[in-house]
Amino acid sequence: MSEPTESNVLLEHLFRRQAGRMVAYFTRLFGPAHLELAEETVQDAMLRALQTWPYQGVPENAEAWLFRVARNMAIDAIRRNRFLVGDAMLAGMARSEEGEPGDPLVEEQLRDDELRMIFMCCHPEISRDASIALSLKTASGFGVREIARAFLADEATIAQRLVRAKRQIRERGLTLEIPHGEELKQRLDSVLEVIYFVFNEGYTAHEGQDLIRQDLCAEALRLGRLVASSSIATPKAHALVALMALQAARLPARVDEAGDLVLLESQDRNRWDRELIGLGFHHLELSMAGDEVSEYHAQAGIAATHARAGDAESIDWPLILEFYDRLLAINPSPVVALNRAVALAKVRGADQALAEIENLAREPKLRDYYLLLAVRGHLLLELGCRDEAARNFNAALELPCSEPERRFLRRKLEACGEG
Amino acid sequence: MPQYMLLLYGDPSNWARLSPEEMQKATEKYMAWTKKPFTKDSHRLGEDAGRVIRRAKDGQKRTTDGPYSETKEVLGGYYTIEAASYDDAVKLALEHPQLDYGGTIEVRHVWGT
Repeated sequence: MSEPTESNVLLEHLFRRQAGRMVAYFTRLFGPAHLELAEETVQDAMLRALQTWPYQGVPENAEAWLFRVARNMAIDAIRRNRFLVGDAMLAGMARSEEGEPGDPLVEEQLRDDELRMIFMCCHPEISRDASIALSLKTASGFGVREIARAFLADEATIAQRLVRAKRQIRERGLTLEIPHGEELKQRLDSVLEVIYFVFNEGYTAHEGQDLIRQDLCAEALRLGRLVASSSIATPKAHALVALMALQAARLPARVDEAGDLVLLESQDRNRWDRELIGLGFHHLELSMAGDEVSEYHAQAGIAATHARAGDAESIDWPLILEFYDRLLAINPSPVVALNRAVALAKVRGADQALAEIENLAREPKLRDYYLLLAVRGHLLLELGCRDEAARNFNAALELPCSEPERRFLRRKLEACGEG
Repeated sequence: MPQYMLLLYGDPSNWARLSPEEMQKATEKYMAWTKKPFTKDSHRLGEDAGRVIRRAKDGQKRTTDGPYSETKEVLGGYYTIEAASYDDAVKLALEHPQLDYGGTIEVRHVWGT
């Protein structure tokens, strides 16, 4: 079979991107209680595209076509359900005739709609796991199956979370309002946390082929930029975008041709994404306004220090250790402490870091964490304690971790037997 | 070269389960098929159950709703393709995306071609 020609391929993720925008737009028009009606309308418009584009060709402005068709379908749906939604909605629709996507004013309105939507999805009144699923479904246009795959959950679980989230929106009368003052600060924190969670979920080591996880990183970055480019952006929001961009820049180099994990130090820096690094530094600079040093600031500082180094030898480890000290002060978690131990080894030697790790090993949270054993093995190997190192790598292999991580541990184990 | 008609049947509710990304993929696959060199013509049919016209027992012409009331599968579209033989036409039809989305395809020779 021949490869499809270019004209058979639409703009990448066109449907998913437009789904997020359209659902946000129609939810504003219909009201949050009718989120489902908005979703159905958008789904129907995409179905119409599927039914007509192959036969009549792709319309010149595909986005505008989708919006127009969805709008007409929405008017039909409202007429059919008038008793449910009321005449006010129909009048609202009539007023909404306001140009097409691509038009600067409409684009601005759509960005605002998306921003309000993500704020509602991440409302603290909605439980966190439901918020995450709802954000990905409505603001990002992912399907239930895709969300389930990304989180290694089953579809029924995700579907239940979505039902719960929508019920919470209805019952608590959540609105698309963006609050002011202290409430805005809290709500924004909640939004940033959800975005960061989505990013980390995608970023955590995984099989290279699993594109859906890379999509999560890209989507988190997109949502972060949406917030950071709005009038309510804070230095903290910029710090989050900086950290995501700088970390995502390394994604192409993190796995080699064989799909094996490559540690940061050994990565081919030519494969880092220059554009993302540029974006990261841009937002890092914007994050410096004000005095707040958030967890995102510290993380972005670490990622930026790595990005600045021309090669592995010129990494400023003392600075990285400083950022880890700050991070640990903000978020005293054993996982952060473990990461700090790696930097500590670079600055003050493997034996000091090992002493730290012995303390951490007593943490119940880290007892069954393969990374603790892997780091300990690595440091022991550095000190020449091959047998003990091998014991740690073997123990790490007994614990749950991904296939590339497993291969990495086996390579380290082999290294213990050499020389 | 002889022409064959591919009659595409499917359950429209199958589509409702696709995510936007999956719908885009499906659109691209169908688009690719309408542009195949052997595809001479392709059309989509309305999915609402049409009306069937027949002569009733009393000799009057009547229209009834249907014919889909009994079955979930709807004739959703048709392609006219060129192939050297019926078997070749079937072989080509086996690659059609309709089959990836739970549908069926009926292959019929167009007489006189």
